[in-house]
Amino acid sequence: MNKSGGLITILLAAGLSGCVTASVENAREETTGLLTGESIVVMAKSYHQGNETEADYIRCIERALGRGSGALNVIPNQQFVDNLFPWFEPRTAPADTKGLVKLMERPGVPDAVKSMGVRYIVWLDGDTERVTQGGSLSCAAGPGGGGCFGFAWWQDDADYEASIWDLNKSESAGTVTADYSGTSFLPALVVPIPLIARTQAKACGGLARQLKTFIVSDEAV
Amino acid sequence: MIAIRPIKSSVILISLLAAGCASNVTVENPKIPRPHFEKLPMDIAVRIPADFHNFVHEENVLGRETWTINLGSANASFFTQLFGYMFDNVIVLGPDDNALDHTFDALVEPTIEGFEFSVPNQSKTDAFAVWIRYRMQVFDSLGNSASTWTVSAYGKSQKEGMGGSKSLQRAAVLAMRDAAALILLQMDKSTRIGQLADGPLDLSEIESGATVGSNADEQDDVPVGIFAIGGIDE
Repeated sequence: MNKSGGLITILLAAGLSGCVTASVENAREETTGLLTGESIVVMAKSYHQGNETEADYIRCIERALGRGSGALNVIPNQQFVDNLFPWFEPRTAPADTKGLVKLMERPGVPDAVKSMGVRYIVWLDGDTERVTQGGSLSCAAGPGGGGCFGFAWWQDDADYEASIWDLNKSESAGTVTADYSGTSFLPALVVPIPLIARTQAKACGGLARQLKTFIVSDEAV
Repeated sequence: MIAIRPIKSSVILISLLAAGCASNVTVENPKIPRPHFEKLPMDIAVRIPADFHNFVHEENVLGRETWTINLGSANASFFTQLFGYMFDNVIVLGPDDNALDHTFDALVEPTIEGFEFSVPNQSKTDAFAVWIRYRMQVFDSLGNSASTWTVSAYGKSQKEGMGGSKSLQRAAVLAMRDAAALILLQMDKSTRIGQLADGPLDLSEIESGATVGSNADEQDDVPVGIFAIGGIDE
C-alpha cells in the first residue's frame, strides 16, 4: 500500500497540473552554426528601454542551453559584462546591430570577445505576467479542525523574444519567440488541491530547445 | 513589580513589531571592473568628502516600513577605483587635506546631490530601483573652478526571495556601475577636464565667460551628458 500509494500520489501530482498552451517560432535572417570552442552569452535587453525580463528566467535559459542533449557552451552573462566593461552596461549596450558594428571597432573589444570565444549574443526581451484571475476561496479553522472551500484560478502569459546576434559577422542571425499561456486552478473541498501551470518554466524550456536548434543548425536562409 | 512586567512585555513586543517593519541594507564596496578605456594622461587630485565614508540613507516608505541603506565607504572606494582607471596619476585627498600641498593638473570634488529609491510597493512592479545623483566639481591646478557636472545614475533589480534586501543592494550597485560607465565615457566631453593637462585656466578667458568646460550644465554649446541609451554617441 505504501509503495503503490506513494506512486499514485506522485502520478497524481505530475498529472494534475494546470494547462499550458504554447507557440514557439523562429525567423532566420542568416545561417548559423557553432564551431568547437565557440560560446554564446545570454543577456537581457536593457531596462533603460523598459525591458522587464526576470533575472531567474535568464538563469533558467542559461542553464537549459548549457545542459542536456545538444548542450552549448554558455558564458555567464555577468562575466561577459564585466570583461567588456563599460560597453554592455544597461545604459551603453548596443541597441541594434549598427551599434554592434561600431562597438566591435573599439580598441580592445574584439580581443576581449575573442578571448572568451563568444560567437553569439542572445538578447532576451519580454516577461511573464498575470493577465487575469478569478474565483474565491476561504479557509477557516476552529477547535474541531479546519478546512478550505471554494475555487480560484488565474492565468499567466509568458511572452519572450530572443534576438540572436552573430559577433563574427556583426549582424543579426534572427529571432526566436516563445508565447506561453497557462491557467492554474485551486479547487478546495476541505483540502486545497493546487493545479499549477508552470508557465514561465515551460516557456524557458521551450525557448531554450528552439534556441539550441536555431544556433547549431546549418539551415540556409 | 507586578505592574512593570506587562509594560516590559509590551515594550519588547512593540520593539519586535517595529523591527519587523524595518529593513536594513548594507552595500559593500562595489568592485568596478577594469574598463576598456584609454587613460587620460594627467595628474588628478580627488577630494573624497567625509560622507563618502559613512553614507546612510533612511526612508519611510508609504508610512509602513522604514528602509535604511548603508553605503558605508562604498562611494569612497568607487571613486578611488574609477579615477584610478581613468587617469595616469591620482592623489586621493581627505576632506581636511590642503590641496596646495600637492601638485596636480586638476582637482575633482565629487558629492552626492541626491539618493532615491523605490520598492515594489511603490512602483507596483517586481523591481527595486535606485537613483544616485553625483555632482562633480572640477578645479584647475590653481583652485579656479573649471566646471560642474551632474551625473544621474540608475539601477534596477528584480525582487528575488523574501524581503528584498539583496535586490535593493544590487540595484544600488547597478546604479554605481551606471555612474561609472557615464563618468568614464562622458566626463572629458562634459567637463573638458583633459584640457587642464595643458595648464590652469586662463583667467582672462574666465572673465570673458569662455572657460574650459565652464558650468557644463548651463552652456548650450558644450555637449553635456549627451548619451544615447543603447550605445554611447561620440
